Amino acid sequence: MLRRFSLLLGIALRHISKRKRQTLVAIAGVGIGVGFFLAVSALMIGSQNDFVKTLIDAAPHIIISDEIRSPTPQPAVRAFPNAAVEVRHYKTRNEVRGIKDWQGIMRTIGARSDAVASPSLSGAVTLRVGGREEALAIVGVEPGIEAQVSDVEQYLKEGRLRNLETTQGGVIIGEEMASRLGVRMGDIMAATSARGVTRTLKIVGLFERGRGQFGGSSGYVLLREAQSLTSQPFVINRIGIRLDDPYAAEDIAKRLEARYGYKAESWQERSADFLSLLVTRNVIMYTVISAILLVASFGIYTVVSTSVADKRRDIAIMRSMGFSSGDLQAVFVMEGFTLACIGVLAGWGLGFALMQILGSVEFNIQGSTETMPLDRSFFQYAISAGASLFSAIIAAWLPARKAAQVDPVDILRGAV
Amino acid sequence: MTGTPLLRAEGLTRVLSVEPPVTLIRDVSFEINRGEFVAVIGPSGCGKSSLLYLLGLLDRPTEGRLLFDGEDTTGTDGNTRANLRLARFGFVFQFHFLLPEFTALENVTLPMRRLGRLGEREADARGRKLLAAMGLEGQEHKTPDKMSGGQRQRVAIARALANDPALLLGDEPTGNLDSLNSKRVIEIFHDLAAKEGRTIVCVTHDPDVAASAHRRIHMLDGRVERID
Repeated sequence: MLRRFSLLLGIALRHISKRKRQTLVAIAGVGIGVGFFLAVSALMIGSQNDFVKTLIDAAPHIIISDEIRSPTPQPAVRAFPNAAVEVRHYKTRNEVRGIKDWQGIMRTIGARSDAVASPSLSGAVTLRVGGREEALAIVGVEPGIEAQVSDVEQYLKEGRLRNLETTQGGVIIGEEMASRLGVRMGDIMAATSARGVTRTLKIVGLFERGRGQFGGSSGYVLLREAQSLTSQPFVINRIGIRLDDPYAAEDIAKRLEARYGYKAESWQERSADFLSLLVTRNVIMYTVISAILLVASFGIYTVVSTSVADKRRDIAIMRSMGFSSGDLQAVFVMEGFTLACIGVLAGWGLGFALMQILGSVEFNIQGSTETMPLDRSFFQYAISAGASLFSAIIAAWLPARKAAQVDPVDILRGAV
Repeated sequence: MTGTPLLRAEGLTRVLSVEPPVTLIRDVSFEINRGEFVAVIGPSGCGKSSLLYLLGLLDRPTEGRLLFDGEDTTGTDGNTRANLRLARFGFVFQFHFLLPEFTALENVTLPMRRLGRLGEREADARGRKLLAAMGLEGQEHKTPDKMSGGQRQRVAIARALANDPALLLGDEPTGNLDSLNSKRVIEIFHDLAAKEGRTIVCVTHDPDVAASAHRRIHMLDGRVERID
């Protein structure tokens, strides 16, 4: 069996080595297809990963807030789960906002080795400097823990998150806000909350411009400070959780929500629209690059079908010698397959080179030098090879069937 | 086994299913024994080649039976027929029909390698021996385009003998050769029949080939006119 295979392969190789130009064109077709497939998919997947990473790390992977998605059922309903209970005109209780038993949630998460949780309290204050007033959404955090949970620290242009702990009444605001108020690092402002508490706050850090979520109108203070400003001692209304494996967020969020009743939002839920956009993008990308590979296999079809047409006499003579029609079909499929194999190898080389070129291009975005994010995973090499070899087999098999159908008598009769 | 004829045709008929149907061979019956050298002769278009293709299992009769070595070959599938051709038959055509990409030796060993009975080295040795027997020593590594017509035809005969066939079928094997080379081919055929006991059926126009055969099947309009 193996000897027969190597004999047929030997015949196939001999055929293609004698038609160099066509062979080169077919190989180049597959090679260029595979090469660009690799370059384009590396770029697309690379930029997607980069984008998703920003999406994931911009905020904690899971955010538990003091909201609930559906109102808690009335006690009467809970007492008779399967009965038809209707409660009307009930009085809503005025509950204190905030997450109850947040220490319990913190302990649950703290027990996991792959997760870090940071409690925070957000509220609103009015800043006053001289004659100017600005509304500021404050977030009270524990700097040490918060730094582990979100990338706040790296968006700071001046100061550090830790400064909140070392400076009494420290606050970090965005550069935009600072320029609106006409203040700088170290300046002192008056802050008044809705509850009428007034404090003086000192600027200990500034966020970079253009960081939407931290920029314009929000600022960070110490958790205790936020609690006392808003007169909600020991209360928090948000827990941010960071996970070692961001992709577990959806599952963990669901379980936390089921257990504690508070809304736990994973990053996937938060950015569902972006993620669905990425799916569309991938569909488009794979459609286009599969088309490239498909077109490349046309070259193989042409080579094999002209080869079959040219070799009709040889096919007839080999049939008379005792080669079966299956043998001859195999010879021509092998021709196409061999071309595709060489093409794939060439394409891998080309793709690798293109990636090196793309990867070496540097460009400036707002003062920082960046290179294009590229995904160089082996997986891309594997799919490009798999797809081209598969389409090559089909492309070679169609004309090779003709070789099997050649009736030796027709050829011999015609030749004599 | 020597008692049974190697080939036995019983009422072979071959009709081409075109419109209107063309009868190539009509009710042909004969027997050919082992070691016989038989020539099939007749005017052009009388069905000599069509008969040869039927005998060589390249074509199937519309009616009648063909027994090879006592076994009925009618109704056997393509692979069985291919294997029979490979192991028991050898063909020599008017044109050499060598594969142009392969050297003389490779052309000769191709059927051996397909059959797989001999190892690579043994096949090579046998190929060289066959070529030497055809007077082609030193030509083993030439491709067909570097050889003369007579040499190519002798390579083709060597290839036909590759798997030690019982039956050698020739379709105008001397049709394209000058008289000297024709003579050589006739001698070779004679030796193959006389010394090696091979059966040879040869379609020919060449009176020398016909004269040197043991028997002649005369054909006319698809029928056997007479055998002498």
